[in-house]
This record gives sequence, structure tokens and C-alpha cells, in this order.
Amino acid sequence: MSYFLTQVLNGLSYGLVLSLIAAGFAIVFTSTGVLNFAHGSIVLLGAYLVAVLHPTIGFWPAMLVALFGAALVGVLINALLVRNLADPEPGAAAILMLGVDIVLLTELTRRIGNQVLPVGAPWGASVVRFGDIALPTGRVVAAGVTVVAFAALWYLFSRTDLGVGMRAAAADGPTASLMGIRLSRTAATGWALAGVLAAVAGVFLTSFPSPGVAPTIALSAFAAIPAWVLGGFDSVPGAVVGGLLIGLTSALVTGYEGDLEHVLGAGFGEVAPYVVMIVVLLVRPSGLMGSKEAVRV
Amino acid sequence: MKHLPRTCALTAAAVTMLSLAACSTTDPNASGEGGGGEGDVTTGSGVTDSEITVGMLTDLSGPFAAGAAVQVTQTNAYWDQVNADGGVCDRDVVVDVQDHGYDPQRAVTLYRSMAPDVIALQQVLGGPTSAAVLPLAEQDDVYVGGVGWTGSALQYENNQLPGASYAIEAANAVDYLVDELGVPEGGRIGVVYFAGDYGGDALAGAEHAAEERGVEIVAQEITSQTTDLSAQASALVQADVAGVVLAAAPTQLASLAGVLATQGADVPIVGMNPTFNPSLLGSPVADALVANAYSITSVAPYASDAPGVQAANELYASVAPDGDVGWEVPLAYVQGELLRQALEGACEAGELTPEGVVAALQESSSVDTDGLLPDGLDYSQPGQSPTTTVYVSKVGAAAEAGLALLEEFSGPSAESFSYGG
Amino acid sequence: MSDLLRRLGGVALLVVALALPLVLDDFWLQTGLFVMAAAIGAVGLTLLVGVAGQLSLGHAAFAAIGAYVYAWSTGETTTSVTGGGLPPVLGLALAALVAAGVGAAFSPVAGRLRGIYLGLATLGLVFVVRHLLLNLTDWTGGFTGRSVESFALGGFSFSNRDPDYLAVGGVEFEGLHRLWYLFLLLAVVACWLAGNLRASRTGRAWANVRDSETAAAAMGIGVARAKAAAFVVSSAYAGTAGAMLALAYGRVAPDVFSLTASVDFLVMIVLGGLGSVAGAVVGALFVTALPLVLAEYSSALPFLAAPGSGGLDPSTASRIVYGLAIIAVLVLLRGGLAGAGRRLRHRLGGGGPSGDAGTTDPDTPGPGPTGRTAPASGTTDPSTPDGSHPAAVTHPRSKETTR
Repeated sequence: MSYFLTQVLNGLSYGLVLSLIAAGFAIVFTSTGVLNFAHGSIVLLGAYLVAVLHPTIGFWPAMLVALFGAALVGVLINALLVRNLADPEPGAAAILMLGVDIVLLTELTRRIGNQVLPVGAPWGASVVRFGDIALPTGRVVAAGVTVVAFAALWYLFSRTDLGVGMRAAAADGPTASLMGIRLSRTAATGWALAGVLAAVAGVFLTSFPSPGVAPTIALSAFAAIPAWVLGGFDSVPGAVVGGLLIGLTSALVTGYEGDLEHVLGAGFGEVAPYVVMIVVLLVRPSGLMGSKEAVRV
Repeated sequence: MKHLPRTCALTAAAVTMLSLAACSTTDPNASGEGGGGEGDVTTGSGVTDSEITVGMLTDLSGPFAAGAAVQVTQTNAYWDQVNADGGVCDRDVVVDVQDHGYDPQRAVTLYRSMAPDVIALQQVLGGPTSAAVLPLAEQDDVYVGGVGWTGSALQYENNQLPGASYAIEAANAVDYLVDELGVPEGGRIGVVYFAGDYGGDALAGAEHAAEERGVEIVAQEITSQTTDLSAQASALVQADVAGVVLAAAPTQLASLAGVLATQGADVPIVGMNPTFNPSLLGSPVADALVANAYSITSVAPYASDAPGVQAANELYASVAPDGDVGWEVPLAYVQGELLRQALEGACEAGELTPEGVVAALQESSSVDTDGLLPDGLDYSQPGQSPTTTVYVSKVGAAAEAGLALLEEFSGPSAESFSYGG
Repeated sequence: MSDLLRRLGGVALLVVALALPLVLDDFWLQTGLFVMAAAIGAVGLTLLVGVAGQLSLGHAAFAAIGAYVYAWSTGETTTSVTGGGLPPVLGLALAALVAAGVGAAFSPVAGRLRGIYLGLATLGLVFVVRHLLLNLTDWTGGFTGRSVESFALGGFSFSNRDPDYLAVGGVEFEGLHRLWYLFLLLAVVACWLAGNLRASRTGRAWANVRDSETAAAAMGIGVARAKAAAFVVSSAYAGTAGAMLALAYGRVAPDVFSLTASVDFLVMIVLGGLGSVAGAVVGALFVTALPLVLAEYSSALPFLAAPGSGGLDPSTASRIVYGLAIIAVLVLLRGGLAGAGRRLRHRLGGGGPSGDAGTTDPDTPGPGPTGRTAPASGTTDPSTPDGSHPAAVTHPRSKETTR
């Protein structure tokens, strides 16, 4: 039983980190309609900044710089590239982000080189014990930070003018614009928020139980795509639910691989999130918590 | 649509006529391939009177860029040194380095552009990329070295494996765990492996050894994107394993060692050749690594005091004083050494052609490399690992490049392992 | 007049394509094979995404199915893998048919989903197919894949053997040269069919579904059927492209059909200009050939650091240039590469009275959904005008605003 609980907690704590990334996808998508293929590189950028800066300025200041840096990169990408697309439509924007991803990832890979750079998180490799279950401190901190982050997002979107404006802009851009909401401002806020969430997730993804910053982290961010999709494209709470569900699925499929392998084939843990995603989409075509489209035939 | 088909048809007809007129199925060069060289040595692609060109298809912009760059630097340095000592067959050896970025499509295309101008391929880095190039090179009868240690590469007779294959490494790992690290008979050994030819080959070797030694394997498949091994580690702890064999990369070694330690599992972890990187010793899990991590390599580790390794290290230090060090340094050197021996074999046989190099490789049944690789490598039996001997090292904070050599090791199940049998 | 010129241009291009193997070396031949295979896949995808408005990120999955069907059906049973031992021509047809069948099987799913939801559901397809390829080792050879029988037609092999020596105009025609003509034939036929299909009743029905499903249904178009048909056709194209890739490599492995491959197909059609057949071909040329050419020639640039020296080396630089090129096309060129080509030609042509070369073409069927004509040209002429109209790109956006 404690084994089952261990795997559940492993899955949920990893799932929360995924949900930070998934929320980044969701916020960028709702605020500007962009499928952000470069999100993984921004996650990597955040973690990389912390890794190179913490030896000189300490972990927390480095973290601040990383949050600011990732947010700034997001805002600049939006202002300089996305808004200047020759054909402003989602397909072109997604491919544009792919181009950005290639540039960012290649440069970061070159800088990181053959190293595995530790991010120097103060919780190191310590663990917190609940009875006979040990959970890495980093993951417990991640859970706390994630809960706080999502509470803050909820407050932003439901209680502040800026957040309500962002929701209005997402629901109906032209109308919101007519009502006096500045779309450039809501878009920039969305990209900045996504950048911040990405940097936070990057640090948790690269601190214990992961060893440090390596370029593969950018690919790990792709694991958040099913979480985002099954939660619903435009829903931040959906991203949380999706992240938890995907984290749990992966951990349990991996944890019981020995029992499942004969039926599902080796390495099913890698595909399981996508299978869950397709099944959920079949039952609920707009994801678990996404808003339904109005078009009906 | 009136003009187009008519114009098209006319054009096509004209082209067909012309082609047929120009067509021929008799080879004017059927006799006497290649040009005549100096003396009595026949020469072929990539060889002139003063130069021999060897190719290198590597990954300088993809996931293995950093390690590959170390190898390129060292390979160039190696051939410069050889040339300074008089070259091979009275010719200088030049290296044509191309970057495939871990993309099979690029690898195949670059191979096509390179093949007519090189005598041999010093290296084709990467699993999918070498899998795409090897069959083409076999058709063209071109030597290919440095494709890593996957057993699936052994089926190609033009390939030269630098030391023991992964299955041999893993079988030795199980033997070593049982003989030296206290895994009891009937105990369990975890195998955490990358999906793919590297991991699959290692798993096959470990399973063979487990059967021989009466232990049980608990297998966990992962991918290179799995950087948090909590779930896998918990499963291994649950299965009460007494040791772990890891066929993955440095990131996975660090995560696995760290999580196992926090879960109170004080068990040895034996990693295959590419699983260790000195920079892991700066991570928070350094203590766990120093306590429990071992590395089995086909090439002698950087810290070995064998003359070949020392020569390799000194050469590298002279060309890249600030470069990253690790197992790539001796590896690149010995790959150069292996190719040099094959080239010289071809030269002595008077056949300095791609085919001649492959023939020289297949005739070499006892290759020695000054302790860079185990002595007596046998390349005369295609399909089998050239040796069963590997190097066992322990991760140590004080050791050069983080690995202290314990011993050369050849276990009973590694010796009884054979591919396809 | 401009139409005749365009035709002549197309024919000239075809002649050049036919003559190229006489002068190209192996690098360019191999590149050309990859480009033509990718072009067929991209044309299929542009029919699905650009014309019918069904976003798909799973194109590589269908290509994988085609490649493996070809490899399995033409292969011989060995100790490690089974094979069907069928003639290659049959294998090629099966590749397209089976891929189309899988597309048909997937279309009920596609019918339930729209826009980006559909795109990401098809993304799941790539991972599911990859999982199957890795685990059904008797058929696929697992991770390392299996080798592919070379194509042959009535005793003539498209490889280095049978006949062992063949020369045209003094140039020895080896497997690469022979495959070039096979691929060229397939590519020309595929483009010609796609152009006709787009201009046909079916193609216009698809475009209506893309622009508004409600309106299309009101006009009597069976929406579900139209979407399914688009999926089937596009999958058949992907299957053919997959089989061609298998032939170009000489072997198949799951890594060839990764997520990156899927995304690359999308990059091709977006860069080329959505919905344009010629654009898809140019996009395929850009995406496939540029990295290869950069890799081959970047080391000739003198100002870059040597590999491993820590500076900006040629390989890294060429990868960055590729990324920047994508960004530049999308930011600077309206309508993608095809749109730019169209404008350039108009400028060179001094702005004919028709404004759009296609509208005076008496041979092409009636106007497309937005009033412009779609040409039924079958050449790979990159400057062929096309109906890559704004409607092709407004669809996903109108989705956004109707939410």
C-alpha cells in the first residue's frame, strides 16, 4: 500500500510541475491564440539562467533574474515577432514559434555543452518523510509554490481589472478592444506570465530528483502538451487537473510496468499520456474544462 | 488543359528518344578500377599520391554536440600527430568532418556526398544516424568506425567496434555485481534502460547473464527525456533489488542514484559506457554517486595509467588545455589508432582502397592498442563482439575525470554470450 | 499570353528536372529524392490543412504506416522479421491504400474535433504509432527498423543492380539516378492530381467546410463525409511519401517518423503558403534541402570557429540560420513563399490586365470559393499561381472569435 501511495505522490508532485508548464501553454494560447512551440526552450532558458547565475549572486537573486528574463523574452517574442507576422493566423504563429525554438535551443545547447549544470537549489537532495514514504523536498516546495501560483492566477483573472480584461480579450478580441481593453497590454501580460511560470517549472524540473540543466529539459516540456490539451485549451484550472492526471498516469504505468508490459508493450509510460489525451478528447472534444465552441451543425 | 499534355507528351517523347540513343549497358571501365598509384599500391576513393582522406560524420549541433566536439578535436590532433611522424603509406591523412545533427536524413545525404572522396569513415556518431548509414556503407564496401557499441552494428562486416559491445558490458555488469558487489544468488538486479538499440542490447546481455548466474532481472524502460526517475526508483526499491544496471545517460544516473539514496536503498549502480560525466560531481547527488556508482566501459577510462591512455591525454591537453575531459578523449584517440592500423594493413597488402581497408579489418584477429582497449581484439568474426573484456571503474571525487579504474574484467557470462545464439 | 509563358515555364522546369541527374553528384541526387518524397507528403497535408481546414500534426504517422507497409509487403521473411514478398509496385499501391484506410478509420475521431484540438489529437497518433512500431518487432524490426527492398518494374531494378551497368549520355545511372525518375514521375502525378482535386467539385466542397461548416451543411455538402474524404486522400499521399522515404533511405526505422517529421510537414506547407500545391512543393524544398545544404557547405565559411573550439561553429551557425530563415519568411512574406513568388512574377510581368494570371485561363474549371480560379497545373513549377486565398488562413481564426 505504501508503494502505491509513493507512486501516487511521485505522480502528483511531478504532475504539479507539468501543470505549471501546461498553464503557460494555456495562457499564451488564450491571450494571443499562439501554440507556443518555443515554450520548452523558455523553460530551459529559465533553468539555465539560474544555473549560471547562482554561483555568483546566490540562488534567490538568480531565481528573480530568471523569472524576469524568461518573462522578458516572452514579451519580446510577442512584440517583435508574433505581432509582426505577415499572415497573422495560428498556423503561421505556431511555425514561427518553432523557428524561435530552433534558434533558442541551439544556442542554449551550445552554451550548456557537455555539462549537467546544477541549479543550486537550497533544498539540495534532501527529502521529507511522511511515515515510510519519502518525498524529495524540492517536490514538496514545488507543490507549495504551484498552489500559491495558481491561487495568484485565480485572483488575477477573477479580481483584477487586468485579469478580467485578459479574459475578455480571449473571449472576443475585437469586442474587448472596442470596450477599451488594450489588446497589446493583455497579450504582453499573458506572455510574461507564461515566461514566469516556465522559469519556475524549469527550476523544479532540474533540481533534485533531476540532476541539473541539460538540453533534454526542453523536450520534457512537451510532456505537458497532453496535460494542457486534456484540461482544455483555454482553461488554467484545466491545466492543473490535466497536469495531475498525466503525472499520475505516467507514475502508475511506470510503477506497475512489470504487470502491464505483457498487455501494452514495453515503454508504455511514454505513450500513456497521449492515449489518455485522445480518449478524453473523444468523450469531451473541448477537453475536461475547456469552453465549448459555439459552432454546431 | 489542352496544351500541357501535348507539349508534355512531345517533350517526354523527345527526351525518351534522346535517352535511348544515349543509353548503354556496357561498362567502359569494367576493367581496371581506380587510377594507378605510385609504386605497387593500388589506390581508390579518397587517396591521392600525397593524401588519404577519411570522413567523420558526427553530431555538432544536436544532443551530443559537446561530447562530439571533444572527439573531433582529439581526432584531428591524432592525425596531425600521425602526419608529423610520417603519415600512413607515405601520405598525409586528412579528416573531412561533417555534422549530421543527429538527423538520419542529413546523415544519409552527407554520406552520399562524402563517399566518393573518402577511403573510410572514422566515425558515424549516434544510433539512428549510424543505423541509416551502415547498410549504405556496407553496400559500397566502406569501413565505418566509431558508431558506438550497439550489438546491432556488429552484423555489418565493414564496421569496427571500439571494444566490447553493450551486451558484453551489461553481462559483465551482472557478473561483477554477483562476484564483487554482493548480489546473492536468487537475488534481484534492476535494469533501467533506454528504449532503443543501446538499451535493448544491454538488456539482452543482462538477461543472458541473469540466467547464467541465477539472479532475477527487474527491467524498467525509459527514454532520454525521462530526467526524474522517482517512479522507476520506487519500483526498484519495492522489488527489493540488490543492484542496478543502468543503460542510459548521465542525467539518469544522477537522478536514479539520488532517489535511491533518499529512499534508503544503499545498492550499487553499474552504468554502461556513456552514463557518467564528470560534471555530475558538482550536483547535489555527488555523495550518492561516490558511494554507489560504478562505470563499465569498453575503452580504458581517462584515469588509466596505461601508456596509450597517457599518450591520448597528453595529446588532448596540448591541443585543448581548457577542454572538457572524459571518456571521449581516449575513445577518439583509439578510434584513430584502429583506423590507422587498418589503413596500414591495406597499404601492406597493396590495396589502399575502401575495399582494401575493410579486408584488412576483417583479417585482424589480434589488435593491440597500448592499453586503450583490451589487448587481442578479434575482428575476424563478424557478428560477435571483438572482446569480452571491459574496464570497471568506481566514481570518485578525487579521480581524474571522476572515474578511478578498479580492474579489467571479463566475467563468465560475458564470455558465454554470443549474438544470434 | 502570360498563361502560355507559365506553361512553357512549367515544361522547361520539367525538362530541367529530367536532365538534372546527368550533371548532379550523389549528394544532390539524394537531397532531391528526399525533397520529392517530402513534397508529396506536404501536398497531401496542404489538401487536408490548407484546403479542407483540418489541422493535422500526425502526418508522419501516416507516412510511417506507408513506409512500413511497403517494407513489410515487399520484404522477404528472415530470421528476425516477416515479410510478404510481394512485387514492389503492389507494395507501393498497398502503402497508399493502407495509409488511406487508417485515415478513414481515424476520420470519425477527426469528425468530432476541430482546429487545434484536432491537431493535438493527431499529435497523439504519432506517439501511438511509434509505440506500435517499437513493439511489433516481428513486422517492423523494432527500434533499429528493417531494410527495404529496392523498387523494381518488370525486371528493371531501381538500384545499383539489374542491369548492373546503365549509362545515359556517358553518365553512369546508378540506383539514385534511377530512383530520381521514379520519384519525379510520382511527384508530378501527385501534384497534378492535387491541383485538379482542389479545383474540382470535391475540393470546393472541402473549402466550404473549412470556411464554415454551418454554411457548407446549409448548401447541401455532407460535412462529415467531406472531412473523412480529405483525411483519406491526405493519408494516401502521406503513405506514398512514406514508401518513397523508405526507398530513399533503403531502410525504415521509427526515428525517421518522429514528431519532428510531423512538424516539419506543417512547416513546409505554412512556409509555402497554406492551400497552395506549388507552395507545398517549394516549402518541401526549403525545409528539406536547406539544412542539408547548410550542413554540406557551412564549413566553407571562413569566419566561423572550428568545431569544438567553443566559438560559434559552422554546424551551430547553420542550425541557427535555418531557424532564422523560418522566422524571416513568416514575418516578411505574406502568403508564404508561394505568395512571394506570385508577387514577384506580377512585378516582372509588368502587371498584366488580369491582375491574376489564373483568371484568364480558359481551361481551368470555374472560380474557386473566393472567386479566384485554381489552376489544374501538374508541374512542379514553383511559380505556378494558385488560389492560396485569404480564406485559407482565416479559418482557425474565425474559430477563435466564435468561441
